[in-house]
Amino acid sequence: MKREDSHLSDQDLLLNVDGELSTYDGRLARAHLKACWKCRVRRDELENAISGFVRFHHSQFEAKLPPPDGPRALLKAHLAQLAATEPNRSSSWLALLRNLRWALTVAVCILLAVGLFLSNVGRRTSRPQMAIVSIPDGRLTPGAALLVDRRKLCTEPNIKNKEVPVALRRRVLEEYGVASAEPRAYEIDYLITPALGGADDIHNLWPQSYSSTAWNADVKDALEDRLREMVCDGNLDLTEAQREIAANWIAAYKKYFHTDKPLPEAR
Amino acid sequence: MSSNLTEAAARALPIRSAAYPGGRRDRLEEDVVALFDEFRDPLLRYLSSVGMAFPDCEDVIQEAFFALFQHLHQGKSHDNLRGWLFRVAHNLALKRQYRTRRDLEVPSEPGAENSAMDPAPSPEDQAAYRQTRLRLLAVVEALPEQDRRCLFLRAEGLRYREIAGILDMSLGAVALSLARSLTRVARRAKQCNL
Repeated sequence: MKREDSHLSDQDLLLNVDGELSTYDGRLARAHLKACWKCRVRRDELENAISGFVRFHHSQFEAKLPPPDGPRALLKAHLAQLAATEPNRSSSWLALLRNLRWALTVAVCILLAVGLFLSNVGRRTSRPQMAIVSIPDGRLTPGAALLVDRRKLCTEPNIKNKEVPVALRRRVLEEYGVASAEPRAYEIDYLITPALGGADDIHNLWPQSYSSTAWNADVKDALEDRLREMVCDGNLDLTEAQREIAANWIAAYKKYFHTDKPLPEAR
Repeated sequence: MSSNLTEAAARALPIRSAAYPGGRRDRLEEDVVALFDEFRDPLLRYLSSVGMAFPDCEDVIQEAFFALFQHLHQGKSHDNLRGWLFRVAHNLALKRQYRTRRDLEVPSEPGAENSAMDPAPSPEDQAAYRQTRLRLLAVVEALPEQDRRCLFLRAEGLRYREIAGILDMSLGAVALSLARSLTRVARRAKQCNL
């Protein structure tokens, strides 16, 4: 969907019901549904179809599923048999090599953990309760992207800002020194949106203010849509779009919207 | 349609995230059996829905969990084991179906409609309920095979991305397929005044 006043297709309604729309599209869909009786009725019809189908699907099996005890016992027996037939490797030279590899892995993990701990101590002590600005801290959020094919990316729906797991969200807020902030004040945003191949990685996440500045999450959403359209229309290289949004998304907004300040509809 | 419990279970996986070097084999076995307890019924429903007889479904599920044990034993990824299990079971089922086409069984025989699960109390209501189910069954069975698979996977709580991975489709194709199927189901439900 592109505009708040355009009716929603069945596919958009379903994506909305299933929580699979991007943040931006989800917001447009909700705003439209508030105002449109026709789409609300259609949404209810689809939800009724879902509940009818799920009831039907489960009632087909409720009384018929064989009890799990026998198959569970069979699985245990198979696993026990596998253990009995496996060669005893503990005395072979392979076991020595394996143990050596484990020891090396453990040593490397310990070194990494110590390194991470020290770097976190450094980070926290040098920037207590930093203020949030519209541009993410490049040291914490340099951006991270997946290797994706442009054509494949463009055939997928514009699912941009997937929900960030709570634990990861907390880590991002801690890193930025705003762990105690009001949760609704920030969107934990992808610097490079997944709709442009951005990765689910803490280096690609940052707490973006919804309202504290003119350059807020809504404005960035508008840029993300514009860049995706350009990439999918073949007017912009995907790597270039990723690079520009990661380097300075505000500069990219100014460049691609030909303006020095956010356009009213994006705010 | 999503199941929050299943969703939470999928996020919570792995039960124990550490790798399983030699001495922890017993613990790995316990974890695989715990996953079996959690996902055996959804897998059974899905495989049966797409046309496999229960004994074949059970065989496929045993193979899938055996493969899961080896997968984890080799220290491979613990990410989204629910999606992994459905994908492996789906592929094993396809192979088996190709091998033994003649053994395919229609998932719900007409006699099943007399199931004791009808919740309606009066004979008239029971008859109406059975009629509705038969109509819904006709709609679902008329769907293209891939659409049915999408619908049944979603009914088991899998997210679009997981379904796309299992059926080797794009996310857009999953969304389109589900919308197409549910539009038909909704149309039939409307005709029946559900």
